[in-house]
Amino acid sequence: MSTLTLRQEPPERLDLLPVTPLSLSGLSEAEAARLPVGTSRRGLTLGDCFSLSLDGSDTLTIEGGSARLDGVGGSLSGGVIRVVGDVGQRLGAGMSGGTLTVTGSAGPFAGAGATGGTITIEGDAGDHAGGAVYAAKAGLDGATLVIRGRAGDHLGDRMRRGLLLVGQAGAYAGARMIAGTIAAQSVGDHPGYGMRRGTILTGGHGALSPSFVATGTHDLVFLRLLARSLRTISATHADLAAGALTRYSGDLATLGKGELWVAAG
Amino acid sequence: MAAWVKGGATDADAAIKAAADLLAGARTPVFAGLNADVAALRAAYGLAGVIGASLDSVAAPALYAELGVLSRAGAMLTTAAEAVGRADVVLVIGSAPWDRPIVAEIAAAAPRRGRAAGSERTLLSLGSPSNGATRHVSYPVEDGGLAVSIAHLRAFAKGNLSGEAAYADLARRLAAARFGVVLYEPAEVGELGVEMLQGLVKDLNETTRFFALPIADPFQGRALVQLSAWTTGQAPRTGFGRSLPEHDPWRFDSERQVRAGEADAVVWLATLPAPRPDWLGSVPSVAIVGEGGTDATGDAAEVVIAVGVPGESAGGTLWDERRGTLGYRAAAGQPAALTAAAVLDAIRAHLTVKDLAAC
Repeated sequence: MSTLTLRQEPPERLDLLPVTPLSLSGLSEAEAARLPVGTSRRGLTLGDCFSLSLDGSDTLTIEGGSARLDGVGGSLSGGVIRVVGDVGQRLGAGMSGGTLTVTGSAGPFAGAGATGGTITIEGDAGDHAGGAVYAAKAGLDGATLVIRGRAGDHLGDRMRRGLLLVGQAGAYAGARMIAGTIAAQSVGDHPGYGMRRGTILTGGHGALSPSFVATGTHDLVFLRLLARSLRTISATHADLAAGALTRYSGDLATLGKGELWVAAG
Repeated sequence: MAAWVKGGATDADAAIKAAADLLAGARTPVFAGLNADVAALRAAYGLAGVIGASLDSVAAPALYAELGVLSRAGAMLTTAAEAVGRADVVLVIGSAPWDRPIVAEIAAAAPRRGRAAGSERTLLSLGSPSNGATRHVSYPVEDGGLAVSIAHLRAFAKGNLSGEAAYADLARRLAAARFGVVLYEPAEVGELGVEMLQGLVKDLNETTRFFALPIADPFQGRALVQLSAWTTGQAPRTGFGRSLPEHDPWRFDSERQVRAGEADAVVWLATLPAPRPDWLGSVPSVAIVGEGGTDATGDAAEVVIAVGVPGESAGGTLWDERRGTLGYRAAAGQPAALTAAAVLDAIRAHLTVKDLAAC
């Protein structure tokens, strides 16, 4: 297992997008230490901020996180990255495969545009988790994003594909959703604002937009399949899918093929 | 002209040298405000490129509510002149547009060109303040705010909701327009609301002609968008820390950078009036402000330089909202000794970049 150990809180935001087990596997520690990661004119390198221990394996541990570590795992296509601590924006944004785990909390845009693999945030996530970055056509795009704690506003904004599982989410969860599935213990105001298709499953919600309409309670095979697929990740969410649910259809301001499943009673 | 360093009055050369010294030692300098003429904005981008700074505008909330939608979903827009000349139905969203002269201009005229020529003009409003001066048909905003109200309206306009609700009536009026225009202020409506509104406009264009007319911010934001595009190919929140321009609306939000302790020097450029942020005093800062303005005082920043105000005590190219373009405005009175562009260029000439500490 290769390890990068952060020496101290970085004096500027660092861009770790190029740092993956694969990219480090062909480099000596001296070569890896020269990788540019700074974002100011100072030109900081990996070795300026981290002590390195590399063994060429497909598992990388980053010890000592910071909210200034951006783009962690963004170019991951296989293998494992584990961060012991916090990360900054764009965790796993654009990743195509592998396993990415953060023991602390993540900044905004975690999982943006990720097409494959599994991202797990054991703490909280910032705004736009699984959401689209500026000018991007889609947010989460096929990967699985698990947030054990709370997520900020705009969770899964313009999400296109994949599974997003979260404890509690803020306002506008699933806004402008194109497709995919969000499972949350609770969401804030106006979930699914402007969603075209997709599924939001939640234990409770804040204010509901008037362009969502209740369409009754249903016992669908789909929900049992959803419960089964969620059980491998979270029993709480699986129980939610297996329980009594009320269905809302929306957003009728757009295509209106989205659905919001809310725990009944 | 007037200049101050650490509260003490001084001459321009000393202030320019102090500003250069302050910026030379900065790791992550930030330009904020950017409410100035095009020459000053261009000089700011030039200096930012040399010192590896990022730039942000006081108009960013309005700009990004528009740009975010434009970059992903597109927009159907018209100009103020076309709205005044052709529209038979005008919907005003929110309260901000009512403070601008365009509403009164639209209300005072009737369509005289195009397919609605000769007909009466109907002024509608959604969430307007009680304004007795201009006759219009008012529809209330819903609890969720403008964005939610626009979504509700659009659901009726699409025919996905029906009934005798107020918004059903409003949707019928919009669909009956021959040339409709919706007027809004982007920051007030927000990005989600603007995207929903643009969607409504596109839906209405299935059967009639309907366009959006966003009100420009009052802080030269649209001039900045153009300058930023032709200078960097990017939108305004751009950084030069890695030499090449990088655009990141979250990372280069100047308030976030200061509050997170990332920015270690700020240049506040506002030769035209702009609300000075409360965080400016928490970082070593240089303020380049219009002479005679409320911020032209020694306590506005560590280094303060007062310069000519574009259109008043200096000539300059500014955004002309009525024409929807850039235009030159000559000095109306006695020209000031210094312009913002000249000061920024002088700072650049004095610059000696210091070595920075490692991690």
